[in-house]
Amino acid sequence: MDKIIKMMTGNQAVARGFYEAGGHVAASYPGSPTVEMLETIKHNYPNIYAEFSVNEKVALEVGIGSSMAGARSLVSMKHVGVNVAADPLMTFTETKTKGGFLLMSGDDPGMASSQNEQDNRILAKFANMPIFDPSDSQEAKDYTKLGLLISERYETPVMLRITSRICHSRTKVVLSQPEVVPITGFQSSPTDYGMIPPNTFDKQYHMKTRIEHLEKDLEALGVNDYTHIEGAEVLIITSGLPYHNLKELSAPVSIFKLGIVFPLPMSQLRELSKAYKQVIVIEEMMPFIEDQLKLAGIPCEGKKYFSFTGELDVSDIEKGLMNAGVIMQSLHEGQQDNAVMGRLPMFCSGCPHRPVFDILKKSKKTVVGDIGCYSMGILYPLEVLDTIISMGASLGMIKGMKKAQRLAGNNDPLISVIGDGTFYHSGMTGLMNLLHQYDPTDNMTILILNNGTTAMTGGQPNASSSAYSDGSDMRVDLTKLIETMGFDRIRVVDQFNYKEAKRTIDEEIKHEGLSIVITTRPCALKYKIKEPNFYVDPKVCIGCRSCVKTNCPPIHMKAYTGIEKLKSSIDASMCVGCSVCSQVCPVGAIKRREVTRHE
Amino acid sequence: MNRQTINSEPINIILAGVGGQGLVLLTDMLCEAGHRAGYDVKSNDVVGLSQRGGKVWGSVRLGQKVHSPNVRKGEADFILALEPLEGLRWQSYLKSGGKLFVSTSEIYPVFAISEQSKYPHDLENHVRPDIVFIKHDILSLSLKLGTVKVTNVMMMGLLANHLDISSQIWESVIRETVPEKFVDENIKAFELGKSL
Repeated sequence: MDKIIKMMTGNQAVARGFYEAGGHVAASYPGSPTVEMLETIKHNYPNIYAEFSVNEKVALEVGIGSSMAGARSLVSMKHVGVNVAADPLMTFTETKTKGGFLLMSGDDPGMASSQNEQDNRILAKFANMPIFDPSDSQEAKDYTKLGLLISERYETPVMLRITSRICHSRTKVVLSQPEVVPITGFQSSPTDYGMIPPNTFDKQYHMKTRIEHLEKDLEALGVNDYTHIEGAEVLIITSGLPYHNLKELSAPVSIFKLGIVFPLPMSQLRELSKAYKQVIVIEEMMPFIEDQLKLAGIPCEGKKYFSFTGELDVSDIEKGLMNAGVIMQSLHEGQQDNAVMGRLPMFCSGCPHRPVFDILKKSKKTVVGDIGCYSMGILYPLEVLDTIISMGASLGMIKGMKKAQRLAGNNDPLISVIGDGTFYHSGMTGLMNLLHQYDPTDNMTILILNNGTTAMTGGQPNASSSAYSDGSDMRVDLTKLIETMGFDRIRVVDQFNYKEAKRTIDEEIKHEGLSIVITTRPCALKYKIKEPNFYVDPKVCIGCRSCVKTNCPPIHMKAYTGIEKLKSSIDASMCVGCSVCSQVCPVGAIKRREVTRHE
Repeated sequence: MNRQTINSEPINIILAGVGGQGLVLLTDMLCEAGHRAGYDVKSNDVVGLSQRGGKVWGSVRLGQKVHSPNVRKGEADFILALEPLEGLRWQSYLKSGGKLFVSTSEIYPVFAISEQSKYPHDLENHVRPDIVFIKHDILSLSLKLGTVKVTNVMMMGLLANHLDISSQIWESVIRETVPEKFVDENIKAFELGKSL
């Protein structure tokens, strides 16, 4: 039979690898760049049990449970998700892994869509886990399979560290038939799985020796690749995408390409490095490989020539190698960038966050933000949010800020804004904590934007999505949940009724106490608005720009023929008919069509 | 027609647009067509804020052997810009003599909406003199087919004239990629793009 070769993204390839490895259970919390991996499993491989869990910690725990029951398990999340999951991970790693356990961590050098640039190779080493670092989709698939094998053979959880570029890049993948792997089942063994002292004492030795054993076996595994160039005086040690970027340059160097970046094949590298005048490490973000080599007494250079932040593209590598004296001159004729107006992301046409942020902007109060589409409320021209830290943090932070300000004699209103997905993920605990040492005169307003989906990552269902009948099997009634937690001042409001929403939010901001406002309109991308769209009557428009200030994609000022002043306009091909602009218009110049037209 | 063949240096294509324009699907189809035509193919796309009005872009490289999925500045053969300003943003990636295809319907960035900056309607005055500039009102042509959702495939038709990939391959890729009920309008849009 001919080989079947397909184009796949890194995410799709990991899903395929798990399928071919006979994988059983996959759990994740959606976060760029790994979202597509679990979606691919759900869509293409229905025999694998797959779920988007409530948060990364729960996803990891689902994976721990299935691995302990002898099933091959895959848990995926974005890099910062591993922080959320770090508590169970740091203890689970002590146990002798039974069913292969792979943690896919989507790192984001350059922060294309992340709040920080943390290098999770550090976290995996901290947890004594071997780390695979694929450079393309084929390797993403191969390392998924090999990672599960290594996990079982050395009784260790394994990290598949994959960068955003590899997750989204498409390259060719050779397909194989899936294996059938039996699930061995859970066997009770409290000394192995009950992690309290003294059971933990011998586990410290287990973690140490498994890494030592793997290090000895690395050469035989064939996962690292050495390309010797006759006469080369420089050895480059690298992994991941920087390897392919380096290959573009045809530099006169030998290359040692790592597939596993922890543990390193130290004795092999020590021997090889002796044959070269210069050893250079090319890696994105922290000097992880470089530091290990230096600690082992292998002379090398790395971050001296290459940035500690951002991606290392072909030009960055060329520049670094020129500084290192490896390449004499660039053969590349670069072009100058031309100054072009920036394009910041903004709320979609019909987004239910738009009226809320218009109201908050007019309130001119301090707003503690959170993670989700509404994080864009910190950007120009809204500039409503004052802080963004991490998932659910707004509800813990508002309390500390309030208590500190009251100690200083200040009780100005404080507002937190959080979405429903983030609320379930890790906002609930922060909310409950507001009741601790609660002072009924603390002026705090909590806005929960219940849009019925985890919108920023592409609209995955969450615990309150079932109200919009999108297939979610959880039926949490957010208002009842919060009442049950012990809160009594809760207002529920339809924000597309602009005046009513504004009155309610303004009242609650004024209220000298704690109040919660829940908005009800769903995500406009996930649940389409089915009303006709709007147009501006330029003869009525007074050019006040109230509509423009809502910052909606189709609305901008326009020069109409025969009219002297600029008047507002709505691009018909983009308007979806939410009506917010028509409600903020003071003169009724924005009118709904009888039926939607796109021109 | 100046077709590029499989034996030459990789063909470098940049795709640029605004979130929600179907750029990821376009990248997907280009890769699949290149793959079926026997090229080594690598692509990139920046997703994440892809539906939320931010700038999105991708790259596709087709050749005998492709190492990096990334295209360096000054090395692109083609740019498909689904929005004029995004065409200008990426034109520094074109090599001298490279082709910039632009769909002329404008989407205002926040700075233009808020009148902090003026949208450059005079596109021609900002295009590099050493490249080939080809613009079409793709949105109006799409609307003539009864939908706003085929602009990406129409742009793919424009590009197809310059690649050594057969009509059968393009058509099968479209058929297998877009949802069944939209296949006909997409094939019409592709053919119309090719005829421009």
